[in-house]
Amino acid sequence: MGSAHILSTFESALSEFRDNALMMASLTQRNFEHARQGLFERDEDWSNTVIADDEEVDTLEMQLDRQGIDLMVRFHPVASDLRTVVSTMKFSVNLERIADQCVNIARRSRKLTSRTPVPELVDLEAQYRFTGLMLDDAIRAFADNNVELARTLRERDRTLDMMNRDFAEKLTSLMPEKPDYIPSYMDLIFTARFLERIGDQAKNIGDDVIYAVSAEESRHPRRVEE
Amino acid sequence: MDQQRPETSVVSSASFAPVNTPAPRSDFLKVDNFNFYYGKKQALYGINMEIPERQVTAFIGPSGCGKSTLLRNFNRMNELIDGVHHEGDILLNGRSIYDKAIEVIALRRSIGMVFQKSNPFPKSIYENIVYSLRIAGVNSRGILDESVERSLRGAALWEEVKDRLHDSALGLSGGQMQRLCIARAIANRPEVLLMDEPCSALDPIATAKVEDLIHELKKEFTIVIVTHNMQQATRCSDKTAFFYLGKLIEFDETQKIFTNPSEKQTEDYITGRFG
Repeated sequence: MGSAHILSTFESALSEFRDNALMMASLTQRNFEHARQGLFERDEDWSNTVIADDEEVDTLEMQLDRQGIDLMVRFHPVASDLRTVVSTMKFSVNLERIADQCVNIARRSRKLTSRTPVPELVDLEAQYRFTGLMLDDAIRAFADNNVELARTLRERDRTLDMMNRDFAEKLTSLMPEKPDYIPSYMDLIFTARFLERIGDQAKNIGDDVIYAVSAEESRHPRRVEE
Repeated sequence: MDQQRPETSVVSSASFAPVNTPAPRSDFLKVDNFNFYYGKKQALYGINMEIPERQVTAFIGPSGCGKSTLLRNFNRMNELIDGVHHEGDILLNGRSIYDKAIEVIALRRSIGMVFQKSNPFPKSIYENIVYSLRIAGVNSRGILDESVERSLRGAALWEEVKDRLHDSALGLSGGQMQRLCIARAIANRPEVLLMDEPCSALDPIATAKVEDLIHELKKEFTIVIVTHNMQQATRCSDKTAFFYLGKLIEFDETQKIFTNPSEKQTEDYITGRFG
């Protein structure tokens, strides 16, 4: 992508398409933050807000689907334009899944909030922060077509996987000595799992940014090498 | 379709027919450091490319970039223009098309051409097809009839005109006329079929029929098509060459050109960011 397209209607349709995708991204970030407040501040109102606000993200996903198809039908984009349209449509699918994970976190938060607080909740804060930074950077990489930033997400996703595993192992080992906490420990393990999935989706966004900008296939590196 | 070509004694003493080559050649039509001039004005600069056998190669680029000039050099059509000259070589199946032993008429039978505007002769459909065979001295009714049916079937026109072969070709629709011209070109059983914007004057249905036909024809012929229609190039061709200001900027698989071209000039042109 470089200078402006000669066909200004295409230029503006593509620009509107990307703007809507970024709007969807900011709504998803907002839901992620509200889910954090619901979880750590034990505030059911925030959790309920996340569940209610998911509809906005779903609506935007459908709108972006329609816009993407319309762009392809009307303008037959090729090369970097085609890659931009395809990766933006995939960006929207990943955001919608992230918003769904936020809803899952909010549902678990409501259960956690209804019971006695467990001290191990604080152990999840680092993982939540780490996931949030991955999400922010995935969106920033998409907005700025920043391949270098997008490339960092794959390695960070591996770190998040390890954090998730360590956290689940720790809580599982505590279960025999604190049987009353088991339901809450299960909710925390699931919440950590939802964060790990958000990390996966942030990594997917990074892969799509790499493809959109450089046409390089970074997914499934072993299979590509074969 | 019958794969046999006319006897060389009928068509020409210089045959381009391949000698039992089972695998298609990747350099069936080879352009070797080719420069071309209209008088003092240079139109093509150092073109090197290898056009594969029995595939469709599309030439794209803005008007005046040299794509039609190169196409017309393949069957030495440009020699009909005063003051032209060239440097370098073009080889068909390993043999120079400028070889002194080769007759230009024979070359043009081996490399047929279909033009932007269909140009049927003001004769019957039948006579359009057999015209060049008659000139070559073929008068056998059986051979001519066979040639007409084979060519019209090859051009996907037989079913539409088989009951009116002796009606005037000028009564056909635009799309049918263009397919008649394709039938006329393949009646000579050429090895290469050149198409210079063959669909630019056709409606979408007629265009789809010609594109479908191109897909069928490539099983037997090597096809080079000049087109301004990017979607047509993506639909029809296996390889695409982008020309600009008389230079070959990029030549690669069509899928590669239209998803991830290597050259910025190609990217700017196909995405409409040119100029």
